[in-house]
Amino acid sequence: MATVLGTPNSVPDHVPPELVRSIGFMLNPEFLADPYDFFPRLQEEQPPVFYDTDPVMGSGWVTIKHELAFKALRNSENMTIETTSIFPRDPDNYFNLIPQELDPPVHRKFRNVLDPFLSPKAVLQLEKDIRGLANDLIDKFIDKGHCEFTNDFARPLPVTVFLRFMGLPLEMTDTFVKWVVSLISFAERDKAVEIMAEIEEYMSRVIIEKRANPDEGAISRIVHGTIDGEPLNERDIYGFVFFLFIAGIDTVYAALNNTWVWLARNPDRRREMIADPDNIDNQAEELLRIFGVTFSGRTLTSDYELDGITMKKGDRLMALLPACNYDPEVFPNPREVRFDRPRKPILTFTGGVHACMGAHLARLEYKIALQEWLRRIPEFDLAPGTQITYPPSGVIGPAAVPLVW
Amino acid sequence: MPKITYVAHDGARTDVDVTEGENAMHGALFNGVDGIVGECGGALACATCHCYVDESWIAKVGGPSSQEEQDMLGIAAAEVKPNSRLGCQIVISDELDGLVVHTPDRQY
Repeated sequence: MATVLGTPNSVPDHVPPELVRSIGFMLNPEFLADPYDFFPRLQEEQPPVFYDTDPVMGSGWVTIKHELAFKALRNSENMTIETTSIFPRDPDNYFNLIPQELDPPVHRKFRNVLDPFLSPKAVLQLEKDIRGLANDLIDKFIDKGHCEFTNDFARPLPVTVFLRFMGLPLEMTDTFVKWVVSLISFAERDKAVEIMAEIEEYMSRVIIEKRANPDEGAISRIVHGTIDGEPLNERDIYGFVFFLFIAGIDTVYAALNNTWVWLARNPDRRREMIADPDNIDNQAEELLRIFGVTFSGRTLTSDYELDGITMKKGDRLMALLPACNYDPEVFPNPREVRFDRPRKPILTFTGGVHACMGAHLARLEYKIALQEWLRRIPEFDLAPGTQITYPPSGVIGPAAVPLVW
Repeated sequence: MPKITYVAHDGARTDVDVTEGENAMHGALFNGVDGIVGECGGALACATCHCYVDESWIAKVGGPSSQEEQDMLGIAAAEVKPNSRLGCQIVISDELDGLVVHTPDRQY
């Protein structure tokens, strides 16, 4: 998930002028026209580490190098995770986004509350449900010969999977869709406080209910979880539940949308995938490399040297994950989608102790979506005249994907 | 429950009980054993649960279980030896009760 909305500031004295850039990441028309041309181009045109001044993201160090990103993300001694300001929180009744905003060693203890239910093996219990759900969604539009992919498939799939994983009623799907759309949209910033209150009001009731009636869902696991033998406190429980809500919904959505644009535009590659169903794991992993959707921010808690560059305490450092996935030293000919690459770590789910805890569930959803869609709608195209546009967002994906078949 | 012994680089031994069906990476993480990171959570997408199977257990545990595990071991930070495995790919069964694994000096 995305981290920050910052404010631009002047370039500090310790930053070498030759490293200052303004790639204009979020609002740059070139970026918004085609982010997945923009990211590999950064590899071709920019140094491994530079200092970016950005009106949306704020100013700070950026790395686009696979090795350096992992090095920084795996360092908990010199940096802390950047606190997000996207989701407005009441300072008098604050909660942390858990476990994202916690540092080691306590971070691991919170992860242990849910990790057992998010392991590759544990998420397989949801496989049948997810497959059924993907097919139910396809049933609704397959005979029409067209759909608007983002709204008809990519949005409801992860929201419904989230509701099932959390132990929430599926009747809440539309409400959750509305909440997530409003919260993430740059255009509805003024409504965020109101939406946050609505979510908290609802979730607080659910938490009370789960306390009285435990079940197998994640909310109940958190409510009844323990850290060093002690139950979690109220704000931590809420922070954990809220974090899961924002973490898994928009990211899978964006990854699906990006991928389906590519599938529609590349019929030969699509047919190649269909002809080799046993290779689905490698196909999914390679497409997840190509279509990273977000980035990871840190704030330095002490001076730090990266790639020979001295950074100062208080500086921000961002790993531009989708760009790192195109590092030619790790993925030769990085723009090329190849389903037979030797397995290498991708940065789509970030790295270090804060690597995505829902990665296995996300991979499973993504894989099932590919399998079921390609099985039932193997031939499709973008609707005639479609112009794919990308809205500015902390999670990168097209605004609409109208498909026909 | 099968017991696993983790031997740290400095020789410190920790015995933990691990549920059957769990893996050696989770066995360490869920019991507070240092030396295993398990960054990707077991997706064969990193090599931070690298460990060495004790010589006396190699025959029973076996070598890498897939090409992906073999590929990932190639990027492990510490020296890769013939008894190197990714802990997430060692599934614990009653047969492995008493298993001894050694953790390397670093995972990054």
